[in-house]
Amino acid sequence: MLRFIVRRLLLLVPILIGLSILIFLWIRALPGSPAQALLGERATPAAIVQIRHQYGLDKPLYVQYLRYVDTTVHGNFGTSIVSRRPVTTELRERFPATVELSVAAMLFAIMFGIPLGFLAAKRYGTVFDHASLVGSLIGVSTPIFFLALILKYVFAVRLGWLPSIGRQDVLLDTPHPTNFYVLDGIVTGHWVAAWDAVKHLILPALALGSIPLAIIARITRAAALDVQNEDYVRTARAKGLPPHTVDSRHIFRNAMLPVSTIIGLQTGLLLSGAVLTETVFALPGIGSWLANAIFNRDYPVIQGGILFTALVFVTVNLLVDISYGIINPRIRLS
Amino acid sequence: MSVAHIELVELDEASGGLWSEAWRRLRRNPGAIVGFGFVALFVFVGIFAPLISPHSPLDQNLALIAKGCCPGPSVHHLFGIDDLGRDEFSRVLYGARSSLIIGVVAVAVALSAGLVIGGVAGYVGGIIDSALMRMMDVMLAIPGLLFAIGIVAMLGPSLLHIMIAIGVTNIPIFARLLRGSILAQRENDFVLAARSVGVPRHSILVSHILPNAISPVIVQGTLALATAIIDVAGLSFLGLGDPNPARPEWGQMLTNSNAYLQNAPFLAIIPGLAIVVSALGFNLIGDALREALDPKLRGRD
Repeated sequence: MLRFIVRRLLLLVPILIGLSILIFLWIRALPGSPAQALLGERATPAAIVQIRHQYGLDKPLYVQYLRYVDTTVHGNFGTSIVSRRPVTTELRERFPATVELSVAAMLFAIMFGIPLGFLAAKRYGTVFDHASLVGSLIGVSTPIFFLALILKYVFAVRLGWLPSIGRQDVLLDTPHPTNFYVLDGIVTGHWVAAWDAVKHLILPALALGSIPLAIIARITRAAALDVQNEDYVRTARAKGLPPHTVDSRHIFRNAMLPVSTIIGLQTGLLLSGAVLTETVFALPGIGSWLANAIFNRDYPVIQGGILFTALVFVTVNLLVDISYGIINPRIRLS
Repeated sequence: MSVAHIELVELDEASGGLWSEAWRRLRRNPGAIVGFGFVALFVFVGIFAPLISPHSPLDQNLALIAKGCCPGPSVHHLFGIDDLGRDEFSRVLYGARSSLIIGVVAVAVALSAGLVIGGVAGYVGGIIDSALMRMMDVMLAIPGLLFAIGIVAMLGPSLLHIMIAIGVTNIPIFARLLRGSILAQRENDFVLAARSVGVPRHSILVSHILPNAISPVIVQGTLALATAIIDVAGLSFLGLGDPNPARPEWGQMLTNSNAYLQNAPFLAIIPGLAIVVSALGFNLIGDALREALDPKLRGRD
């Protein structure tokens, strides 16, 4: 098991090096210069030269790359050209927003997806089963931003039940020690603020969680159907165990193996969806931040931000692999 | 039962063939039929939009929006009028063209590049395999939509670049899938048999391994068409869509109607449903294909 983990960790090194080179070269291939983006259309040539010098953009490529690697390894992602604040500071503010959103979306997907899929398998071939299959296909066929717009229109604009944008009511001025707003509210005892943050999360989480929900339900159903026909399930039933014990101990637990892999993979994929969800609901997370950075040619943000998200993505996948090894005795013991 | 008899039975079963059997199963799957219906409608509308649309998608009738945006569905304008006085129905029909072209080209890009990379990696193996697969890992480590935004930002927004961007982000998926499938087939006895009678390496790959390894790729290709249609709309939504206003596009129509959501929600709902229906069609077919091509389920019906 340890060897497996070490080997997987070593595999991360070439991926990160390749990724840093890819992002670095790609940024240099972007049309338009960041100096131009920063100073606007009417910048004087002298001002452009000065900015290029200030950010080291007049140095040869390999020097720029080495400088980039050197500062990045030391945890310094540079300063945003647009906001002129350190990238790490912005990351600290925005990453919690995306994590909060992703966790809420995943919780919603898991809480509804697993029971739905399991019920569909138990009622295999019934109307409920077919409806859940069709429903999950519609779920994966619906663009996230379309669903987000509809939810926003119905529940925020028409019914006025939930807030439509942001992470917190602008009138609430509460401290944010962790930047996880729900957690902040609880830690500092501002229950109103915590509940307000939760309300702001509901619609975005529903929109972002819809696709994972559909996929988790399908995988759970397929896995439960597979396990149901295993010999050990028949044995368990034959020796007279109560049906719900067989369901929970023999079927459910074994069916969760493939489901856990999918949950991990989907967690990584949430980032693409977060770009759209954060845009619709004006949430200051890293998805919308990176998309804007690409539009604004904000080099340091793109470099640092994408490298950071990729690091998170590969780490999540690594954790999934490891946890899979731990829960699955066939892998653990081989 | 004599040995000869057993062989006869096995031959008899095999003569059905994977594809004819898959086709038979597909025809019996109601989901597949509905999916084919949706896709056929989508393709038909995409190809014949100029012939069947009642108005030009670009004609503006400003008199219609003189009383504010926007008049809803009526006999003359089935889906109502958009914010610039254009017939929404005709625009939705024309929108199918963009989605169809982008979807097909993007998947073709991903499929062809993915097939070459996955095929080489899976069959050659060794250092080349490791190098190619690490490259694919690097590509997969970047969230797909950001990757696509990045490519469009680098090349500049245009229809061609959107197709390339969506295609490229899908390459690693196809490459990995085919490689895995080939690795599984490579150890089969029929490959050993072909090699032992002196069939050259490349023809073993092309005529023995590929046909057997290809079915998961076909399933993925169908599903990728659905995601491509959705991704195009997503790019449009972020402002990176086809910059040519003469080509109506569903994602763009949805985005433009955002400001009129209060008075004219149908302007957002109709193109949105068009995306859902066409993506659903491909997803239904892909799903049914997966079941039909599953060797574990062969001969069960």
